[in-house]
Parts: sequence; C-alpha cells; structure tokens
Amino acid sequence: MSEGIAFGGLRETAAPVERTRGPRRGIGAAAGRLLGALFVLALLVFMVGPIVWLALRAFSGTWQYPQVLPSEWTFRYWRSVFDDPNLGHSIKLSFIFAPVVTVASAAICLPAAYAFSRFNFPGRRVLLISLFATNAFPKIGLYISMAGVFYSLNLMGTFLGVVIVQLIGTIVFMTWIPTAAFSAVPRSLEEAARDVGAGPLRVFLRVTFPLAAPGIFVAMILSFLASFDEAQGTFLVGVPNYVTMPTEMYTLVLNYPEQAAAVFSLLLAIPSVVLMSFARKHVMGGRLAEGFQIR
Amino acid sequence: MVLPPVGVVAVFIGFPVLAAVAYTLGRADGPNSVVSSLAQRQHIVKHGVTFAAYHEVLTNQSVLRDLWATVWITLLSIAIVLAISWAVALYLRLTDTRLARTVSALAVVPLFIPVVIASYGILIFYGPDGFMKTIAYHVGWHSFPSYAYTLTGVVIGEVWVSVPFGVLMMSSGLNSVPNALIEAARDAGASMPRTVWSILLPLNVIPTVIVATFTGIYVLGSFTVPYLTGPTAPNLLGPAMSNFFSAFNQPQQAEVMAMIVFVLAAGIGFVYVWANVRSSKRAGATS
Repeated sequence: MSEGIAFGGLRETAAPVERTRGPRRGIGAAAGRLLGALFVLALLVFMVGPIVWLALRAFSGTWQYPQVLPSEWTFRYWRSVFDDPNLGHSIKLSFIFAPVVTVASAAICLPAAYAFSRFNFPGRRVLLISLFATNAFPKIGLYISMAGVFYSLNLMGTFLGVVIVQLIGTIVFMTWIPTAAFSAVPRSLEEAARDVGAGPLRVFLRVTFPLAAPGIFVAMILSFLASFDEAQGTFLVGVPNYVTMPTEMYTLVLNYPEQAAAVFSLLLAIPSVVLMSFARKHVMGGRLAEGFQIR
Repeated sequence: MVLPPVGVVAVFIGFPVLAAVAYTLGRADGPNSVVSSLAQRQHIVKHGVTFAAYHEVLTNQSVLRDLWATVWITLLSIAIVLAISWAVALYLRLTDTRLARTVSALAVVPLFIPVVIASYGILIFYGPDGFMKTIAYHVGWHSFPSYAYTLTGVVIGEVWVSVPFGVLMMSSGLNSVPNALIEAARDAGASMPRTVWSILLPLNVIPTVIVATFTGIYVLGSFTVPYLTGPTAPNLLGPAMSNFFSAFNQPQQAEVMAMIVFVLAAGIGFVYVWANVRSSKRAGATS
C-alpha cells in the first residue's frame, strides 16, 4: 500500500438486475454458470493463492518440488524469528513509527481538508491537484534529491527524518479522503444546528465531525498502514539507526531461509489484516469513491 | 489552514524536485552540493544549463531497454486491470448470488496485504518450485515456465496489487447506473451484451479513466514489485534508478530517469484531470 493507494466503493444499495427477470433456463444458463464458476476459481487462485502458499511455507520443515504440500511441518522458524533480537527490535520500531506518523499526518492535513471542503478560495483546485502531482513523481528519484536536503538539515539517520519520509506518503489521501468526507456533510444540518443556538465549535464537534468521522477513520488507517509498510524511504534515511519491519524484509528475502521470510511476512501482514477489517465496511461502503474525483 | 500540508509538500517534495531538475541540467551547487560531492560521471556546468546527462541516459542501450519495458508493462497492466475489474464489476452488477459476493471479497484481498509481502508471495508462487509449476507437473506439463525474476512476473504483481482499486471504482460507477435504464433497454429487446455496450459502458467512462490513469501512474513509479519479482535487466525504471543511485553511484543519471518517469506520469495525470474537469462541468459544478 505504500506506493500509492486509492479507493472507490461497492455500494450495497443497487439491487441486482437479474432478480427482476425470472430464472433463465437451458444449456445457455448452465454454460453461463460453468463460466462463472471457472472465473471465480481462476480469481481465487490468482488473488489468494500466493498468500496461502506463503503461509504454508512459514510452517514447512522439508518441502521438495513437486510435492503439493510440505512433507514435514514445524514451528522452528517462528521461534528463530522471535529469538532474533534484530527482528524483534524492528517489529517494535514499526509499531512506534506508524502511530506517530498517523497522528502527525492527521494534525497537519485534517484542518486543510476541512478548509478545502468548506471554503472556496482561489487556487483551491490547483492546490488539490498539485498535491496529487507530487505523488506522481517517482519516489526513488525524490528520495535521492531529498537526501541532499536532509543532510543539510541534519535529518539523516534521525527519528524525525524517518517520520518526515513516511509522512510524505500519507499526505495525499489524508487530505483527499477527509475533504470528500467533510463535503458530504450537508450544510443545511450545520445551519440548522446554528439556528437553534449552537456555536461554531459546537456545530463542528457535534454535527460535522461525527458525520465525517468514517472518512477520517479510513484515512487514518490507510495512513497507519502506509507508514507501517513504507520501506524504501525508511531504508534510505533511517538505516542503520532505524530499521523497521518492511526494511528488514528486503534483507530477509535475500539472506535468510525462505521459511523465515515467510514467517516475517505473516507477522507484517497481521496489522494490515486487522486494521483493514475494521475499515472494511466504510471502504466498501462507497463513502470514499468521491475522494478520487476532484470537485 | 491549508498551509501545513502544502508547506510540507513544498519543502520536502517541491523543493527537492526543483533541486533535482537543476541537478539533471548540470547544476551541482546549492542543495545539490552534498549529493554531487561523491557522485561519479557527472555532467556539471557553472553557468547556464547542459543536456549532457539527458543525452547520456537516452543513448544508453540498457536504459532504453528499461524504458521500453516500463512502457509496455504499464500498458499491459492497465489493459489487464481494466479487463478484470470490468468483468468483476459487471458480474456483481448483473447477478446477486453468493458466488458474486465471494468474487467481490476475493478481488479486494490485496488491500489487506502489504506490497512487500505480496511481491514475495507472488515470487515463490510462480517460482521454480512454486504452486503453478507443481500443479502443472502433476497434470503432466513438465516444461511449465517459472515466472520468478521475469517481466511476466512483474506484470502479475502489478496487476495483483492494482485490482482492488479497479474493482471498487468500477463497481461504484456501475452501481450509480439506475436499474430502470437497464430494464428499459432490456424491455425494448436489447440483449445483455448490447445493454452493456450501449448503456453501462458509456455511463462508466469516468471511473474507467480513473482506474486506467491511477494504475498507469502506479506502475510507472513502482519499485517494490519489480525489485522483488523482476529480472536484473531489463527491468522497470524504478529499480534501474535505484541501481544507478546506489550500485553505480551515478545519482545524476538516476535523477534523469526519474524525470523521464515523471514526464510520462504527468502525461497520464493530465488525462485524469481532464476527465474529471470535463465530468464536473457536465454535472454543472460551480467550483
């Protein structure tokens, strides 16, 4: 997720068309069902296969081609990953950086998102688009010239430097998605609250914010994951002082037994799976489709 | 209120990018002095600008092969992502079975998995002792190729990572087409393919453009997928840049390649902005 992210929505409101037309019969329908089943099977292998295969690998002792399953199962590599002090340290570091980056990103971007949605100032659209344009510049090229700036600001190898590098990857969706969320709050509701005597702060806290909260929540989760998964910039700025989990992964893939890399992969995937499960309803709910259409 | 993020972007993205532009044009002073002090094979001028670095990179045969690979892999990935996301979204829109819901759940799996891990999983899944080769072996296809460290592997990885966005965007677009329109076409005697072609397709152009442009920009600038699953050469420009920077110690050449990718991405980004502006004009938006 660290390299660009985007969301639309599966709205659950639209009813299917076929229901209204009665069941189809005959060979055509059977062929259609068969085709559908094949499509699902292919999709299953394509989307889930690599992850399942990787998970099996994490528990395998001996596994020789062309056996379909490992011939020996073991937890050996789990123990070796947990016993390695470097790996444990990088896990801890990842869990420190991600929340810090998320909170910093929210503090910087949310006021801007509110302003983008509520005030129509000159250059508003240009600014929104230019935020996106900066995202289109290849990261590695950016990091190379950023290194120069970081050296002169003494940020290389520092905690703050890593936070800034990870923060940059979160700015676009931390601005865009909440902007769409704030825009979706009807102004009439805010006006109604004001009419019955609520002050501006109270209106924001009791009306605007709760209604925009799901969008903000998703943006924060995406930001957390982007920071958690960011490897390239952290590698350039943080090594050797700050080696986070994904950065460690590059080394692992090359230098450790396959099973250890698989174990580490599973560990690294846990926060993503847990957090995205929380956000799933809102992401699929289509609240965010507007985030990627500039208005 | 918009100042903080714009400021952060200006200082930590805008400024370095401008410095990088100056560096590729031969200026090694100011913010580039640190990077240029250790670099090799630089093209430097004290006054004015030089295009020598661009000339060197664009006449380098290996870079040209990487550039070519980047372009066709980007186009191929866009085409496959569009095909898969259209197929899944249509299937969801036109049927409502448990199978269809399974499909939608499957298509968004990559959202839950970090790219590093997905790339690694794909590498071993399609690798010389991976699942695909194992299954092929058992059905008697012993010469089934391994896609680990090939450009095909890169395409598989890029598509895998991009499918959820495509499916979410397309479904959202197709769901905003009213049922009444589809039923009216069906009642007037249009076949299902005809309905898709003349009703759903024209009404879903903007989401299609958004999916195509975002996928394109993502693939152009990607690093992790081609780095882990791709061959040494030719590979995408992302890993190639990284090589020029760290392995060859030629940051200026790496920056030139970054500029090339940026120009390509900006071209795609223009299509995205144009489509959005056009659609909001049509919708009668005032801003």
